[in-house]
Amino acid sequence: MISPVLPFIPAPDALPLPAPAPLLQALLLLTFTLHLVAMNALVGGAVLAVWLRRPGADRQGEAARTATRIGKVLPVCVAAAVSFGVAPLLFLQALYGRWFFTSSVLMAWPWFAVVPLLIMAYYGTYLESFRGTRLGRLRTPLGAVTAAVFLLVALIYVNNTTLMLRPESWPQLHFGNPGGLQGHTGEPQLLPRWLHMMFGAVAVAGLLLALWGQRRRATDGPGGMHMRRLGLGALWTGTLANTLAGTWYLLALAPGVRPAFLGGSGHATGLLGLGVFLAAGLLILGWRAWRRETVALAPVTVTAVLALVVMVAMRDAVRGLYLARHGQAPAAAVETQGLNIAIFAALLLGAVATIWWMLRQFARPAK
Amino acid sequence: MNYPVWELPMGGGVLIAIVSILHVFVSHFAVGGGLWLVITERHARRTGDDGLLAVVRMHSRVFLLVTLVFGAISGVGIWFTIALVSPSAVSALIHAYLWGWAMEWTFFVVEIAAAMVYWYGWDRLDARTHAIVGWIYFVAAWASLAIINGIVTFMLTPGGWLQGHDFWTGFFNPTYFPSLVARTAFSLVQAGLFALVTAAFLPRTPLRAWCVRYNAAWVLVATLAGAASGLWYRAAFPGWSEAMLGALPILPVVTRWLVLGTAALALLSLWPLLQPRRWRVVGAVPLVAAALLVFATAEWAREAGRKPFTIHGYMYSTGLRVADEPLVAAEGLLAHTSWVDPAAITAGDPVRLGGELYRNHCAPCHTMDGYNGLRRWLTLADEATIAGILPRLAVLRGRMPAWHGNPAETGALAAWLATRRSTESPVPTGATQARRQAWDVSCGLCHTTDGYRPLRDSLAGQSRDDLAALVDSIQDLTDEMPPYSADEAQRERLLDYLAELAATPAGGGAAIAKGATP
Ligand code: HEC
Ligand code: HEC
Repeated sequence: MISPVLPFIPAPDALPLPAPAPLLQALLLLTFTLHLVAMNALVGGAVLAVWLRRPGADRQGEAARTATRIGKVLPVCVAAAVSFGVAPLLFLQALYGRWFFTSSVLMAWPWFAVVPLLIMAYYGTYLESFRGTRLGRLRTPLGAVTAAVFLLVALIYVNNTTLMLRPESWPQLHFGNPGGLQGHTGEPQLLPRWLHMMFGAVAVAGLLLALWGQRRRATDGPGGMHMRRLGLGALWTGTLANTLAGTWYLLALAPGVRPAFLGGSGHATGLLGLGVFLAAGLLILGWRAWRRETVALAPVTVTAVLALVVMVAMRDAVRGLYLARHGQAPAAAVETQGLNIAIFAALLLGAVATIWWMLRQFARPAK
Repeated sequence: MNYPVWELPMGGGVLIAIVSILHVFVSHFAVGGGLWLVITERHARRTGDDGLLAVVRMHSRVFLLVTLVFGAISGVGIWFTIALVSPSAVSALIHAYLWGWAMEWTFFVVEIAAAMVYWYGWDRLDARTHAIVGWIYFVAAWASLAIINGIVTFMLTPGGWLQGHDFWTGFFNPTYFPSLVARTAFSLVQAGLFALVTAAFLPRTPLRAWCVRYNAAWVLVATLAGAASGLWYRAAFPGWSEAMLGALPILPVVTRWLVLGTAALALLSLWPLLQPRRWRVVGAVPLVAAALLVFATAEWAREAGRKPFTIHGYMYSTGLRVADEPLVAAEGLLAHTSWVDPAAITAGDPVRLGGELYRNHCAPCHTMDGYNGLRRWLTLADEATIAGILPRLAVLRGRMPAWHGNPAETGALAAWLATRRSTESPVPTGATQARRQAWDVSCGLCHTTDGYRPLRDSLAGQSRDDLAALVDSIQDLTDEMPPYSADEAQRERLLDYLAELAATPAGGGAAIAKGATP
């Protein structure tokens, strides 16, 4: 099983993992799911706001008001996406650092560029949120650039998380350009996987917008209705586009990986089947809710959450299958730090309670 | 040794320095500014001072923009950067301190949420709740600092962790508390400083004068506290006195600037304190510059003091673990370096292999022409001299890991390094500077005149002929010294320098020593 690239996969760290791998895996998937929701709200929201301000769109009506409302909350979405992004990055590095650190170095400059790009785009959302109409003619281009930067950041992430699965490409990339001024643009997964994520972002952001609009209908009928309709439209269209992107993604998987999803592995095939089923459900339920304003949103919401979870699990399966292509990696030693896990759990509970309390105070009617 | 090395012309250390200095400057403000907000808000509410309350409110908005955006993202940025420059070290940290980072994360999330609720809550929350949210922010921000401080100081002084790898032993290490106090103090400096800047823009009313004096007091008191904790820190700093004598050439220089910056902060804050009405925003420029200098030099001193390790006593900057040294020394470096271009191995060209060795074992700390640039030295050395220095790298001032190459590897690296020589002579035109340089690139690599491994006293009174004989036979004095070889002109310049040294007794006022501190 030893392939010639194996020497380039770093040995496990000499220090033991401070917790059993399954626990870390569970935390990775859990926090990553939270990150995805926030990231989807952010990227999808930014894209929808641009769509609402597209050339020729009504600048005064509900569309413009919805775009402004989205713009107001985008900074909060960035904060949430970053906060929920740090944790999975941590667990990813603990479990998959050997692959991930390596691929990061190989594409060092684009990866590093994420930092200034994010700072720029973050300020872009605040400019829109705080200055809004005062931006004048710059407003629409600013929104477009901000959204484009977020999409670019996502592309860089997808590039790194796929490059880490490709040790066979590493030597050529690195020794060809040890300066790290490159991406792994030849990766067949890159485009479909990124599109899949981005369409998903638009769909999830659409759903969140619809839920927000639904609540708003009590106080602002037309505004709430607009948000609901727009959001469900985005959910439906994004999901439809994703059936195509998803198929492309499946076809782009490496020859050693794809068969697992087509009957080769019960786990992978089951996940795919479930994913297809949930996507079909989303299309049907989403269509009904979109077309008829009295239809409740609970069923479509539950389906979407399930679909998201299945996608996260499927993504994890893809990672496992890719990494297994080069033989079973030697497992890292484990020395569980029980006390520290307990402290972490207590702090996490405390954090959730504190944030909950603050949000409750905030949500109470203003004095 | 396990990971590829990112070839960065400016040097990875410089990139880390840029990102971390900017981040540290802002993130300390994020902590101290939290305390400033709650205390000042309380004062404004108690005294019913709506003007002051408006100042606090304006502040909290800038706060959101500066700390949440720049502070938070650049913090992630440091993490990205060190993982790119020192992946082995980050991997070790992730294994040893995963739960430390995870604990820190819980505070980070609370901090961000609280900052948002605090800002968006000015009109929605009652005064008491708003104040509580402010306190939640400050406590979470400080706790986050207290945890990161544990991990950062662990890297410098892991102390008892080295035996038994116990989490909390490494966390509460010898520099933990002094560093925590220093960081807390300078976070308060930042808070006062920032408010001093914004106060300059207030309309000229008694409120403005009050704000100016109040913020200047923050700066002064916190600077004095920070200076005191700096002295405490020094006592726990590994190899401080030796390094200050010149074993670590950069440390005395950096420390001098650190002391200067701190003194400047304290002195400059007297203006707004004593003459609040005359305070103008131009006064903030040198103050902010002084603060930036303090942060930059303090971080730099910490990084320099850790050399040649990323985790002191555990792992070198090259990713080599101390525990693996004997094995590597026995089996050779190439056998333990994963990222060697297979094409270079197939070609069997020693020069190319030398380049691979350089990238893996020298480039983590050196560049050719930038930070810690080697080209000048190489240009003045011949291949035999280079090969003679390599096995003795650990003896040089500047603290390098020992070179574990076998003779073939040493030859290969020396051959590659020799190809990097410049065709232009780096010898300065001034005679004094040229002599000084002849010393710097030879004896000065390991000796100083009066500080670390001082030579002045040993050379005192020797004639030029004695010195020439000494220079030609230094390899006989100790194995740690390589034979001296250079072209005739260069050798003459060195002898001139040594003769001058031999003729000038200590304290004779000749300020010719490199890194010599009394
Ligand atoms: C841990 C970081 C580190 C590593 C790794 C390292 N060096 Fe150094 N090196 C330094 C420092 C720091 C100095 C002192 C620079 C100064 O004068 O401040 C230095 C100085 C030198 C000097 C003297 C240069 C001069 O102009 O005075 C030479 C030569 C040198 N190193 C060669 C090497 C070679 C060859 C390698 C690879 C085998 C190497 N070093 C690896 C940190 C390192
Ligand atoms: C590679 C490092 C290195 C270089 C280069 C080097 N030395 Fe030394 N030298 C040492 C070490 C190590 C000792 C051992 C004594 C010590 O640790 O102080 C020593 C000892 C000496 C001693 C005897 C001890 C004493 O203090 O009297 C003299 C004299 C001396 N060196 C002169 C020189 C001269 C002159 C040069 C330049 C031509 C030179 N050295 C270059 C490392 C070096």
